[in-house]
Amino acid sequence: MIDLVQTLADGLLFGAIYALIGIGFTLVFGVMHKINMAYAAASLAGAYVGVVLLKLMALLPWLVIPLAALAGAALGLVVYYLCFRFIPLSAPLATLMSTVGMLLLIDEIVVHATAGMPVNYPTLVRGMVRMGELSLRADLIVCFLVAVVAMAALLHLLYRTRLGLATRAVSQQPVAAQLCGMSLGQVNAATFTISGALGGVAGALIGSAVGMLSPLIVAPLTVKGLIVTVIGGLGSIPGAIIAGLLVGAAENFFQFMRGVTERDIYVMLLLFVFLVFRPGGILGRDPAGT
Amino acid sequence: MDFYLGLLQIIGVHTLLGLSAYVVLLTGQVSLAQAGFMAIGAYVAAMLTVLAKWALLPAMLAGGSVAAVVACLVGFPALRVRGLILVVATLAFGEAVRLFFFNFDYQIAMGDIRVGPLGGEGFRQIRYFPENGWTTFQVMVFIWLVVGTVMAALWWMDRSRAGAVLRAVGEDEVAAQSCGINLTAVKVLAMTAGGFIAGLAGAIYAHYTTHIEQGNFNIMVATFAIAYPILGGLSNVFGTLAAVVFIQGFLVEGLRFLGDWRNLLFGALIVLAMNLRPGGLLDARTTAALQRLRILARDPAAWRRVMGQLASGAAFSGAHAAVRRRIESWRGSPGA
Amino acid sequence: MLELDNLSKHFGGVKAVDGVSLDVKKGEIFGLIGPNGSGKSTIVNLIAGLLLPTSGRIIVDTRDVTGLQSHALVALGVARTFQNIRLFGQLAVWQNLWVAENRDRQRRSQPVVPRWLNGFAADRERIGKLLEFSGLAHKRDDLAANLSFGEQRRLELARALAAEPKLLLLDEPAAGMNAEEIEELDRRIRAIRDSGVTVLLIEHHMELIMAVADRIAVLNFGQKIAEGRPAEVQAHPQVREAYLGKAA
Repeated sequence: MIDLVQTLADGLLFGAIYALIGIGFTLVFGVMHKINMAYAAASLAGAYVGVVLLKLMALLPWLVIPLAALAGAALGLVVYYLCFRFIPLSAPLATLMSTVGMLLLIDEIVVHATAGMPVNYPTLVRGMVRMGELSLRADLIVCFLVAVVAMAALLHLLYRTRLGLATRAVSQQPVAAQLCGMSLGQVNAATFTISGALGGVAGALIGSAVGMLSPLIVAPLTVKGLIVTVIGGLGSIPGAIIAGLLVGAAENFFQFMRGVTERDIYVMLLLFVFLVFRPGGILGRDPAGT
Repeated sequence: MDFYLGLLQIIGVHTLLGLSAYVVLLTGQVSLAQAGFMAIGAYVAAMLTVLAKWALLPAMLAGGSVAAVVACLVGFPALRVRGLILVVATLAFGEAVRLFFFNFDYQIAMGDIRVGPLGGEGFRQIRYFPENGWTTFQVMVFIWLVVGTVMAALWWMDRSRAGAVLRAVGEDEVAAQSCGINLTAVKVLAMTAGGFIAGLAGAIYAHYTTHIEQGNFNIMVATFAIAYPILGGLSNVFGTLAAVVFIQGFLVEGLRFLGDWRNLLFGALIVLAMNLRPGGLLDARTTAALQRLRILARDPAAWRRVMGQLASGAAFSGAHAAVRRRIESWRGSPGA
Repeated sequence: MLELDNLSKHFGGVKAVDGVSLDVKKGEIFGLIGPNGSGKSTIVNLIAGLLLPTSGRIIVDTRDVTGLQSHALVALGVARTFQNIRLFGQLAVWQNLWVAENRDRQRRSQPVVPRWLNGFAADRERIGKLLEFSGLAHKRDDLAANLSFGEQRRLELARALAAEPKLLLLDEPAAGMNAEEIEELDRRIRAIRDSGVTVLLIEHHMELIMAVADRIAVLNFGQKIAEGRPAEVQAHPQVREAYLGKAA
């Protein structure tokens, strides 16, 4: 029993990282009503660049997080320009496809740059923390805390700054927002930059939690991130947070019960259960009204 | 020579895969589940020919039918989710199918070896073609007969009222149902048809590669499936064929000398293509232009007129203006 | 022909339609007016099956059709147009009618197999004739998206008529039209009524509706506040109040 609680706790901590990825997807969807399929790939690429810069500049290990955030932000902007800026609104399939192309491109660049070998990632902290009968990995706790800080920063940005106000305005009424003098292009670019930074942080956290980064993570991370976004409700940041924790815990739960090879099937089933009973997600808008 | 035959085989199977996504895309549903249906068709057909000693054609049709039934079952809940949620849901479904086959064991003893699907190792020894003396050439012809039949069926459907109904649903569901179109029936039927075609593709694939495993039906394949009709344009089936030929033939094989950089180029090409031609290779305007050309070709007087215009440069000024307008739109529009 | 029995539609706390009862007689042109937000379009969407009523019944030609889906209602003879034109822009003009054409007529026009083999040319011809009545025959093969606004409105109406309805719901057909086009619309609506179709007309354009409607009902805040012949309704004090406000 205690093992179960232990594994759920671990999952919950890791789930905060899924929440970050989910927030990234949902942020772009909320503002542009499009999915950026390349998001997880860009996030991991940001983490890669972060660790490379860290080694180049021989800095303290924990600095990899802000470095990855910066790299992720830059990549997010690149994705915006290459996949969204120039494609007209009347071709939604085209943006979907272009982000898929971007996903391929980023994945391949990473594979080439690393010659297909996994890259070691600095562990932020070692040791275990005992809480009663539970033994939690200190680095997972740190990941969780960093993720929480990132989320708090994002919420502050969205709800207490002018840029955040503009972002929310554009997500609700793009035309009216433009009539009020907001630059759609700037807001969209900012959205991608911010979500990219968030993704870079998530990628760095994954790297440090797992100990290494490999391009093999891209596909499962994309799928899990999308699942988190959908379960949380497309466009809802609180929803993505809750869903991220839920998926993290559920993943470990299923692994505990049925082993690693069957684990993901049950995560999919979890998604389908939500789609049948609550297609709008936990906190999402009415799907038919989207 | 075998190399080119192999390439034609791949193009054939991928065309079927693309067409299975095409049918569903017409109704406005973006389905990333086609790779999953392909997997079902592959495993079912292979199990029937290897374990139950069925002939190829019935096994293929059975594989396609099972995939169609599953697609139909997927089609109903798919009605409840719109747009991008459907993309994620179908992606998850495809992955679930792949993971199912990753855990699927069903082996029986034949002689002194065990044959059948074995989880992660996949399904080996699908030796129907070699055992029955088919040459690579014959297999290629067979594949293209199937592809040709499916393309003809879809081409004919496109020109029929069913095609117009599918596209009406894809364009505006509210207007479609107000015209008396039963949305449920149309969307589920489209998904079922797509599943059947994908199942056929899988069945053929299993038999000419002789060894299938879950990794053959992953997200990449699911993405290829929708990439072909989107890149090729949804105006007609030839767009999908053109996209497959272009991507598989030119890019994958023609750039073979670039070695590992092919995938990278592929990704870059998609990004470029979607920016330059969001409607695909054979988008609505190109198709309309081709149609006008056909009408012109039958009318000598009009033909002379057009030639005269070309000679005087009037046509080019139009093209010049169009390019300028495109550049203006980039500067003005914030994209999405 | 059409009876609304205490029909209500609530969206959460908002009562878009609140206990509305109407009785539209066969072959008449019945007008529905009211200030913006009074529930007119909601009623059309309820009758056409796009929305489910919260309570009440809808009866078409003595048959209770409450809760039926849109396509079933079309099969029973109810057709509608949209306030914001909703054509299939990527389809040709004739194809817009093709998908909406009355099923029985399609089946009767030719046996199934010859139709399939013939390549649907006969369908195109038949619909071309239908288009003549709307003055759109010369644009038969053009994409619907390429029509002018007036032509699009005509196509929208033609598409609704292609289903050969018994009851036609027109949702603000005069929006955006100039005086000449409205006169033409007036003539068309009368012609439609003369051919035996019952018309429910939602409009803001007072001149049109007062001229063409046999009877009118007035909605305000989801409730019916007046009903009767146009002249009676015009003089009704509550109607004046709804549109013009109370005298200070």
